[in-house]
Amino acid sequence: MLELRDVALSLKGRVLLQAFTLTVEAGEVVTLMGHSGSGKTSLLSYIGGDLSTAFEASGHVMLNGVSVQNLAAEARGIARLFQDDLLFPHMTVGENLLFAVPRMPQTERLAMMRTALQRAELEGFEIRPPHTLSGGQRQRVALMRALLAKPKAILLDEPFSKLDQSLRQQMRAYVYTHITARNIPALLVTHDRDDAPKGGRVFEISTVGELHRV
Amino acid sequence: MHNRTALWGAIPLALLFAVPLVFSLLLLAPRLLDAKSFDALFEHPQFWGGLSLTLITGCISTILALLFAVLIVMGTLSAFRRSNALFLAIPHLALALGLGFVVAPTGLLARMFVGGSSPPDWQMAQDPAGVGLIVALVLKEAPFLVWAMSSVLYGNELRQRFEQEALVARSLGHGPRSTFFKIILPQVLPRIIWPLVAVFSYGMTVVDMALVIGPAQPPTLAQLIWTDLNDGEVFANARGAAGTIFLSAVLMLLLTVAWVTWSFLRPLIRSVMTRPAAIERNTAFISSLIAGLWLVVYAAIIFALILQSVSQYWPYPLLVANDYSLKAWSTALTNPQPLFTSLVLGVVTSGLSLLAVVSWLETQPSQRDRLVLPLVLVMLCVPALLVSLGQYRLLLLLGLTGTWSGLLFAHLLPVMAYVFIILRGSYRGYDQRWQAVGSGLGAERIRFLRLVKWPMLKAPLLSALAVGFAVSVAQFVPAQLAAAGRFSTLPMEAVTLSSGGNRALISTYGLLLMLLPLVGFGFAAWFSRSRWDNA
Amino acid sequence: MITRRRLLATSLATTGLPLWSRTVVAADFSAVEAEAKGQTVYFNAWAGSDTINAYIVWAGEHMKTRYDVTVEHVKITDTAEVVKRVRDEVAAGKTDGSVDLVWINGENFRALKTDKLLFGPWSESLPNYALVDVEGKPTTRQDFSEAVEGLEAPWGMAQLTFFADGAKVSTPPLSIIELIAYATQNPGRVSYPAPPDFHGTTFLKQVLLESAQDPGVFAKPGDEIEFKKYEDLWAASLDELHKVSWREGKQFPKAQADVTNMVADGELNIGITFNPNEPANLVAASRMPASTVAWQHRNGTIGNTHFVAIPANAKAKAAAQVFANFLLSPEAQAKKNDLKVWGDPTVLAISKLTATDAQMFTAFAAPGSVTIPGPALLEPHASWVGLLENAWLKRYGKG
Repeated sequence: MLELRDVALSLKGRVLLQAFTLTVEAGEVVTLMGHSGSGKTSLLSYIGGDLSTAFEASGHVMLNGVSVQNLAAEARGIARLFQDDLLFPHMTVGENLLFAVPRMPQTERLAMMRTALQRAELEGFEIRPPHTLSGGQRQRVALMRALLAKPKAILLDEPFSKLDQSLRQQMRAYVYTHITARNIPALLVTHDRDDAPKGGRVFEISTVGELHRV
Repeated sequence: MHNRTALWGAIPLALLFAVPLVFSLLLLAPRLLDAKSFDALFEHPQFWGGLSLTLITGCISTILALLFAVLIVMGTLSAFRRSNALFLAIPHLALALGLGFVVAPTGLLARMFVGGSSPPDWQMAQDPAGVGLIVALVLKEAPFLVWAMSSVLYGNELRQRFEQEALVARSLGHGPRSTFFKIILPQVLPRIIWPLVAVFSYGMTVVDMALVIGPAQPPTLAQLIWTDLNDGEVFANARGAAGTIFLSAVLMLLLTVAWVTWSFLRPLIRSVMTRPAAIERNTAFISSLIAGLWLVVYAAIIFALILQSVSQYWPYPLLVANDYSLKAWSTALTNPQPLFTSLVLGVVTSGLSLLAVVSWLETQPSQRDRLVLPLVLVMLCVPALLVSLGQYRLLLLLGLTGTWSGLLFAHLLPVMAYVFIILRGSYRGYDQRWQAVGSGLGAERIRFLRLVKWPMLKAPLLSALAVGFAVSVAQFVPAQLAAAGRFSTLPMEAVTLSSGGNRALISTYGLLLMLLPLVGFGFAAWFSRSRWDNA
Repeated sequence: MITRRRLLATSLATTGLPLWSRTVVAADFSAVEAEAKGQTVYFNAWAGSDTINAYIVWAGEHMKTRYDVTVEHVKITDTAEVVKRVRDEVAAGKTDGSVDLVWINGENFRALKTDKLLFGPWSESLPNYALVDVEGKPTTRQDFSEAVEGLEAPWGMAQLTFFADGAKVSTPPLSIIELIAYATQNPGRVSYPAPPDFHGTTFLKQVLLESAQDPGVFAKPGDEIEFKKYEDLWAASLDELHKVSWREGKQFPKAQADVTNMVADGELNIGITFNPNEPANLVAASRMPASTVAWQHRNGTIGNTHFVAIPANAKAKAAAQVFANFLLSPEAQAKKNDLKVWGDPTVLAISKLTATDAQMFTAFAAPGSVTIPGPALLEPHASWVGLLENAWLKRYGKG
């Protein structure tokens, strides 16, 4: 469960987000919409723990009841997906996945990596460089890599916007299925209404920085 | 990243670079008040002629170097990139000497194509308009700019973005050249501003090349200053120092003017760049033609240097010398100490600089670069002579002249400046989302740096190291002052032994001076290959 | 030690000098030699010549075996560097200076002497100084127009000398007027290094001496007003020469070394040097053809002496003196005089040497040796240098 309590955000005195409170349940994907420059991505940075010092932000970020906003980004256990897949270009697909696997005996790590490859429907792609994969394949690897780290929450920053229309539909289903199956709370930021999962909660940021349920 | 800044990370750069540089400059401040020397400078009969020559050669050579570099980058880069280490490694002085051997009235060209009993009345080197100097500067600096641009283009991270954008542009019906001018170039140019500034400053203040191939009556301002600074008279030294300050001021003024002009013209240039359809056809051909020309000229220069290094009496119009001898090579190689000293200094200074600069960039917010940039600008723009003088005064005060640490320190300042400039663009331009992904996967900072960030920045890191090494190996003035006769480096040995005009020795040392950086750049090029390039 | 003892014995036998003066010097100098043991002399000397560098190595080896003194050759491009270094070090209060001995003369010597940056007097109390030809070679005590006063020890002699490939210059021009005539017949093949190159400035002095009725006036200090009297004639000679010079006298080679290379290439026909034996040396080094000829002007060319001096803040003053004394020894001077080694003329008076020592100096002609010698002329007073250089820059320095 991801809770945001009294979270507010402003940039050089200009209010981007008025204080709001939001709870994302385990396995739920909550969608956040807003015009560009509305502070959607900055909000994700605040939650993730790498917001630039240029912003002023306040409020609690709680994961399963524990406050994490004073922890370093890597200690929070919050995974991120962006519109670019951001697979590390100097590593093979397999190495990219292994990077996310926590410390444990090598045979177990390899086994987890292979399972992830299977789930990405990419068996046999282990030693391929990322740039030889298609956009959809890469985005699947990116999701599997994020999930391998066993995150307590996942933040999605327009992860489908660079895919073409037909692929987009497939990827949405793929991503939401895997997130729900693992019971991870997820926050999706997008400007495309269609990205929101069916029946999921959708919020919109108004021009004055208020959060409204749509 | 705000939560990763730490003041300790600034200490190496501050202690090894900023503090000593500021003190060095402060020690020169009294010179600014020396009005009498400025009057003497302006009254020098060759002052105005020298100033206009400096402006002409500095500006024209920079513009041409950029133009040719863009033309080369626009077309196929592969052949040029492979030989780029060669282009970068050849020292300015060796290039000027070699070019002289090729184009002078008694040079290889005249011997091959003119003949006759006496040499033709060519004015290719030491011509009054400075054409020879401009040609030499363009030959040397264009590859440097090509290298700077290709580091931006082929950096692991931007490469992906450029490729994607080029793909989009092509899908909208633009050809590859038009894509280059519309999409790629406008993004690359702002990223090579600093190398461009370095090229311009070098062109305005160069002494060694100008002495070999530049005009003499009047000489460029930098040569005039050099003569004054080397005079035994205190009066002439003071006039030379005033000249250095004046030249630096002119340079700063021009850079400011260029900056303001650029800010105004930028939108205009962009709009011009959005319709270059007419040049679509011939550019690939032009690119390879220019790249080929560079290769041929460099090959000729190196060939001329090798030939001269073993030739003895060789009067015009003989195509080859009558006698050959390896005497110059044996003179140079029987005393390997300077070579060794230069090698060690180069490795230590470039390594230390890389550590200090990475430590700064990794721990300080980018806004804080504003504290360092003016100092780097000073190192790049102010004639090396002036900074070296201040640095020497500091060493004297500390009693470090003639010591190993003094020598090391003297090499460190310019190396640090170059490493900072080269690394900053790629390091600051590194997409912060990579860090976000890394943190999201639970990677601690050191693991992320070791396995992701540094491997991705491998090419610029190695380039910085190689350039730093080359800069260190090329230092002459600061080395000479700091060594106080207790140490000898390769350029010191080369310059002193060459003062007798023995061309075989000069050529031999020119080639030796080329060898060390060549090895450095070769290593950097080899190790910075992408893992996937072989496949 | 052997050389010195032998020298002492033989000089007692051959010269009529009183015994006491010799022994006093010798006794004093033994103390200096004792002090010098184990010291290192940092000898700052121009290093642009292979042959000179090799000679310094030879001298250093002898210093090590005979006096236990190490000689380090600090290779220098321009002696003014050393002047500045000494000045800076003294100003910074550095007492263990980096320079123990410097090869020097002319304006650099005057600069150090005027600023009281020299150790001494010491040179005239060197045992071997007694052999110096102070009477026949007055420039050994008068460095340009500056009195030496024991602040530097003479090392070698120099005189402005011209050279060319005899195949191209069959009758060498023996005056500035003849040089202009030669250039008129061979336009574009004559030039000289641009001042303030040392050789270029000396050439201007030579033109001044030859264009004036009475060259004697230049021994006295000059000023703008005095110079006006001679400037027109001097400039007229130069104007005439420049009309038929390389690049019409609008550009000049930057240094003497450039002129030498251009002569070797065939771009210029006549070279210029201060070492009368340099042309022969260039032939020996295969940088000029065997048909090379060298000459001095009929009525004489400017001559001078080069020296070694010890800075006031030198660390190894004793060893520096011992080294200077060795450089003045007949053995070292004869070796230096040898065309195959360096070919630098000696400062010693052959008449003051023993017969055996004198034999070492037997002159023999080599290809490129001076075949038409002229008398040595004294340098004009130093004050003329600035006047000449300024006038030259104003008239010809703008292209």
